[in-house]
Amino acid sequence: MSKASDAYDVVIIGAGIGGLVCGCYLAKAGMKVLIAEQHFKPGGYCTSFTRGGFTFDAAAHSFGGYREGGIVRKVFAELAVESKIRINRFSPSDIITTPDFAIQLHDRWEDSVYGISSLFPDERKNIRRFFEYFVHPDPLYSARLRKWTFQQLLDHFIQDEKLKAALAYPLYGNGGLPPSLMSAFIGAEIFTEFLLDGGYYPEGGMQKIPDCLSQQFREFGGELLLSQSVNKIIAEDGKVTGVVLENGGVIPCQCVISNCDARQTFLSLLDSKMLCDNVLQRLNEMEPSLSMFILYCGIGQDASMPLHEGINYWYLQNYDLNAIYRNAHNENFDHAVMVRVTPQSKNILAFQNVAFHDQTFWQNNKDMWIERFIENVENIAIPGLSQMTTFKDAATPSTLYRYTRNYQGAAYGWASLLSQFAEPEFKRPSFVKNLFLVGHWTTFGVGIAGVVYSGYSVADLLLKKWKKAYN
Amino acid sequence: MSDTIEKDIVAIIAEISGFDEEEITPDKNFYEDLEIDSIKAIEITVAIEKKFKISVRDEDVPNITTIRQAVDLVNSLLIKK
Repeated sequence: MSKASDAYDVVIIGAGIGGLVCGCYLAKAGMKVLIAEQHFKPGGYCTSFTRGGFTFDAAAHSFGGYREGGIVRKVFAELAVESKIRINRFSPSDIITTPDFAIQLHDRWEDSVYGISSLFPDERKNIRRFFEYFVHPDPLYSARLRKWTFQQLLDHFIQDEKLKAALAYPLYGNGGLPPSLMSAFIGAEIFTEFLLDGGYYPEGGMQKIPDCLSQQFREFGGELLLSQSVNKIIAEDGKVTGVVLENGGVIPCQCVISNCDARQTFLSLLDSKMLCDNVLQRLNEMEPSLSMFILYCGIGQDASMPLHEGINYWYLQNYDLNAIYRNAHNENFDHAVMVRVTPQSKNILAFQNVAFHDQTFWQNNKDMWIERFIENVENIAIPGLSQMTTFKDAATPSTLYRYTRNYQGAAYGWASLLSQFAEPEFKRPSFVKNLFLVGHWTTFGVGIAGVVYSGYSVADLLLKKWKKAYN
Repeated sequence: MSDTIEKDIVAIIAEISGFDEEEITPDKNFYEDLEIDSIKAIEITVAIEKKFKISVRDEDVPNITTIRQAVDLVNSLLIKK
């Protein structure tokens, strides 16, 4: 049994980037904070692992939002993370190759405009206007975006259908939706990172980010429990009062922040009887995003590699992103692939969006899919990959679920559909007091920059109230 | 009617901004006084639209900078409904 002195101001469930950022701000301000993470390492999708003598980034593999004034830059500076990791930028950050042309995104957006315009001279003005919109977002457009799909935004600026597909493909790869279905607001957030600000990578691998945030969190006085699930959120009289850990320990607290998926938070952790009918109905209607099949290849040191390290190489073999999205649900997924050579270690990562299947499906199919994926990457990007590979493995949707417990192994939380944009109940539930959600299940943003903002904004909200009450 | 609307709008803004309802007086400026950023501005707009089942014109969104303006706009949209 815990004593009253064991009480925390805040318990955060999950040490994903959103949970860690939030925890750091709260602990830094003097709150007593506990983060409980079920995995033995922090980071969620932003982790690295070592197998067969090779170290791979598990899922997240580069990030944006690190420009002067960018949210990740601001947060890393305020939490003194910046001085503890060396972050490099690769340019071009992304190369999008289609059957007819290839476009590059550079660290200076003007260079990207110049390069793309030389391929589409008739669209020169349109391309510049499109890019400028992201460089200097106009409040009127921001307002419009809440009602638009990303396709409407593309149609507003660009004429050429092939160019639209090429520009939209990285959004499919980072949000799991074709532009016709994606909220323009979320799409614009993702896109801004690519155009202005992509290609950042911490020396030593992605695990450095959560490791460094964890270290700062502890230095600020926070307590981080790894390999420790939370089994229950306790609420009395409509208000959160504590959590029950996997080991049976009861932790009283004033406030709970869930970095888990919303279904788990509302249906398993909370007493689901607390849910009002309209929230339960909405929860059952909500669609998760696609999951991911990630190929990891360790290659011999003397292998000759045609791709440059640190660049995301996108291969679009079919311009119809709607068809690619439909096919991803039917296990026909070979038309859109992203390949990347990890800086320093030179390992190969390759990504495809796929739908969720259970563990048995993947046990039966994983090896076959690995071979098929390697063959595809050989054909489009790295000839001879199978010969140079000395270690191969893959993460299936079932793997992603196992390590992070993201519902259906969803790669980007709830699908960023226009109809699922900005659902307040999934960030600040109204039916229970002092419970908040952070991370990519909050319907306001995805990706590292999106979850960093979500952690920062919830901490800011709580600190305003807390400082008033106690100072 | 206007009083209830104002109360509901203030409650939404208190939830999103972190400021107490008592601090959110009619002349408070979203951006200067209540630290509303561009993402929160859209969050507030969407929350108000959902709450009152109205659709705010895009061009009106950037022009609404105070609580009073937001209440007036919601009132006028509800009358037109």
